Amino acid sequence: MITKNKKQLTWRYSFAIVLIVAGLLILHYNIGNEFLGFSSVGTWLIYVGFIMLAIITLQLISNKKRIVDERMQIIASKAGRLTFLAIILVSFIVMVSDGIKPITIPYSYFMSYFVCGIILVYVISYKILLKYS
Amino acid sequence: MKTKIKEYRKKLSMTQEDLANKVEVTRQTINALEQGRYNPSLELAHKIKKALKLQYIEEVFMLK
Repeated sequence: MITKNKKQLTWRYSFAIVLIVAGLLILHYNIGNEFLGFSSVGTWLIYVGFIMLAIITLQLISNKKRIVDERMQIIASKAGRLTFLAIILVSFIVMVSDGIKPITIPYSYFMSYFVCGIILVYVISYKILLKYS
Repeated sequence: MKTKIKEYRKKLSMTQEDLANKVEVTRQTINALEQGRYNPSLELAHKIKKALKLQYIEEVFMLK
């Protein structure tokens, strides 16, 4: 029930390093600009990789025992289902509203709002369920 | 599910926090169990039974 074991830490460190290496390779060979259409992809990957490394290291340094019990896991899955429903509902609303009046904001902005919204819905529903169920 | 966690916990002079630490869950989960808002897994039920020094799960968890 208590997470943060060695195997998990190794996986997380490996993933962060993979992100950084991928970012460096994309930058070095100019893949982002030539094939992916976004020149900053490599830089972003490196940025996310370093942020991840920092978070994992901070969690490792702090000796706070983090408990994730079965009730929290069940609530997390419930919050996931709620988020999924919210995505479907919002997508439908966006489709209808786009039909009525075309959405003119840039695609990158739209996706940023959408992803932030998904995260927000998940966190809020998780917190509410954790407290009241 | 009806539980007698609170009664047995009080008998052993344990706080919710103590029991939570013993069975490796959060204090909120112990509270939810005591209030009957959450049904534990078999594994957690066994751990609670052991922590409360009981012989059978049925002594602490029973169907309404």
